[in-house]
Amino acid sequence: MNLAEGIRFVCTILLSVMMIGAALGVVLFENIVYSAFTLAGVFMSIAGLYILLNADFVSAAQVLVYVGAVNVLILFAIMLVNKREDFKPVPRRWVRKGSAALVCAGVFALLATMVVKTSWPTDLSLVPPVSAVELIGEHFFSDYLLPFEIASILLLMALVGAIVIARRESIVGEETALVGETPPPVLELPERPREPVA
Amino acid sequence: MNPGIDLQQRFVETLMGYGLSPGAAKAVWLPLPLLLMLIGATVGVLVAVWLERKISAAAQQRIGPEFIGPLGILAPVADGIKLVFKEDIVPANSDPWLFLLGPVIVVIPVFLSYLIVPFGQNLMITDLGIGIFLWIALSSIVPIGLLMSGYASNNKYALIGGLRAAAQSISYEIPLALAVLAVVMMSNSLSTVDIVNQQSGYGILGWNLWRQPAGLLLFWISALAECERMPFDLPEAEEEIVAGYQTEYAGMKFALFYLGSYVNLVLSALLVSVLYLGGWDFPIPLDLLAGLLHISPDNSVLQIVTGGLGIVMTLLKAYFFVFIAILLRWTVPRVRIDQLLDLGWKFLLPIGLVNLLMTAGLKLALPFAFGG
Amino acid sequence: MLKFLKQVGGYAKETLQSARYIGQGLSVTFDHMSRRPITVQYPYEKLIPSERFRGRIHFEFDKCISCEVCVRVCPINLPVVDWEFNKALKKKQLKHYSIDFGVCIFCANCVEYCPTNCLSVTEEYELSTFDRHELNYDNVAMGRLPYKVTEDPMVTPIREFAYLPEKVLAGHDAPSNVARAGQRPEEIVAATPKQQEEKETEAP
Repeated sequence: MNLAEGIRFVCTILLSVMMIGAALGVVLFENIVYSAFTLAGVFMSIAGLYILLNADFVSAAQVLVYVGAVNVLILFAIMLVNKREDFKPVPRRWVRKGSAALVCAGVFALLATMVVKTSWPTDLSLVPPVSAVELIGEHFFSDYLLPFEIASILLLMALVGAIVIARRESIVGEETALVGETPPPVLELPERPREPVA
Repeated sequence: MNPGIDLQQRFVETLMGYGLSPGAAKAVWLPLPLLLMLIGATVGVLVAVWLERKISAAAQQRIGPEFIGPLGILAPVADGIKLVFKEDIVPANSDPWLFLLGPVIVVIPVFLSYLIVPFGQNLMITDLGIGIFLWIALSSIVPIGLLMSGYASNNKYALIGGLRAAAQSISYEIPLALAVLAVVMMSNSLSTVDIVNQQSGYGILGWNLWRQPAGLLLFWISALAECERMPFDLPEAEEEIVAGYQTEYAGMKFALFYLGSYVNLVLSALLVSVLYLGGWDFPIPLDLLAGLLHISPDNSVLQIVTGGLGIVMTLLKAYFFVFIAILLRWTVPRVRIDQLLDLGWKFLLPIGLVNLLMTAGLKLALPFAFGG
Repeated sequence: MLKFLKQVGGYAKETLQSARYIGQGLSVTFDHMSRRPITVQYPYEKLIPSERFRGRIHFEFDKCISCEVCVRVCPINLPVVDWEFNKALKKKQLKHYSIDFGVCIFCANCVEYCPTNCLSVTEEYELSTFDRHELNYDNVAMGRLPYKVTEDPMVTPIREFAYLPEKVLAGHDAPSNVARAGQRPEEIVAATPKQQEEKETEAP
């Protein structure tokens, strides 16, 4: 075993331990903020494993998308709400915990058997591509075009939906007034008067 | 193209000459560039801090640091020593682990990003295939550290500052990435070395500055916002939220934030010089000069001169942008949070998209000028 | 469509204008960088206080008639006048006088109203101490005269802007032997009686 292989071996073990530890932290921490931060640890260790597998672009994308966007947004949402609430101990909580653990163990066993049963075709003669970016781009625009476009349309829909929710211009109290009753004062969100779009 | 100096090979060969095995020689070499990068980045920060103080003083008709070393050049060192020896205070009811982890998470990605900054053909840590994309990915980790320190401080100003920093980083990363994307499209590569090589050959005329003027402005504005520099320093706005996420920090942990912000500024300036001003490229093509003087490109003196000149040119260009940032600091007042988000989403983002589209169109129409 | 284009055009125009303003601002900042620093290197250089400078108050014990006007005109009744009626002389005799300069606001009302001119303002302003009670000056401390900035061999005196010769803008550049622009007070005084004489000759 030479230097590079040794480093690789140690890094793999370290990253795996980190990932499993952080993942357990996500599930087991009582404080939701800790869970969110350890989630970032999970994503980072996955990115490290990608690097060890020579997938540097995927690794960077993992960091950018999952750590930089998804996790930051989760944290953002948690901190904007920021309700430090002590949960009341639910009676017979161990039943719920136990069942959750059982389900998790079942899924783990299923996946583990799948991993063991599958014969992973490893062709060591294959040289890793020099420029993974170009290959990924080619695949995106040829055989994976449909999933790619569908994903982008999904994101667009989410974007439009978010804008619609954020720019709510509803008038509260108009429909709820009964006949003969004085209608409650019309409440409007203070917003810019809407201009007709030309 | 001039291959330049290959320091690694020279070093390893020298060590092997002393009777070391190739593996051991390589192992000795491995930590050296990293160490050099750490020291270089720190010295770069010291210079930037000194420049900041001196230029700010000059812009306000003051003198600035004067007595600590010649022209006060040791003032930032004194600052650093003071911060190292200060008491480390952890506020009551805070979260000591997250409080410690926050500044560390802010600093590490910024230093890591120096991996991809080239000072010459072979004068960089690694020529990664993903190059500039690594920087964009790494800089997106920083807001997590800011949120962490803001949350752990047990201080509402710190929390607001952390939230603002995260919102700002997220919004300005998009125009930044779009500006970078236009450059990457022209050079057909994410690697910083390829980006510089694509600009070299015609001296100052070949730099991306002329092909991407809007991109340069876009990139610099977004980079200033990412660094939380003056017109966009809302996360640390003194008048509103004390010092934002840094409020509760003292001593070495504060020094990490301070260091991180200046390392980030110097890094952004270096990347502007790489992306838009031809990196280590001299304004007059050196090959042409060497040809005029009848010096062969294999001449070792020429190689050393080229390498040294490359480093000097990169630093000069970078510090020019640091200078602009400092000048802007004393010119432009701080924007409000709504103005900041308006500028990011309603101005820079559309311009970035249009810039990208036009670059693509020009690349198809004029492949000789815009990288076919 | 036309309206949209118009909007885009207006937007672009505004953008260019704001870019121009930022450029102008940058040029102003840049221009300031080449100007001479106005810094006065304090312990080594000091500004000469102006002739109406209201510094620490000077007190002459022998002139004081213990009338307590200074106490009455003081915004916070600060001066402490300790006197005793001397029956033999049928006069108030002053025993102690003190002002706490840690509380004084240096308005110099007491100086203005003192009927015997025993109070006066000096140009001393370096009143820092380790204990604020040390600022409570008694009549001995108030009787001391301050060092003049111009006579201190350790200090380079620098003239304030209003006391510079004509067309000199920085105190550091001013030659020490050239008088300031305009008339000096004694010149004004010297000029006044002449005018009065002229008036008197005109009057009858």
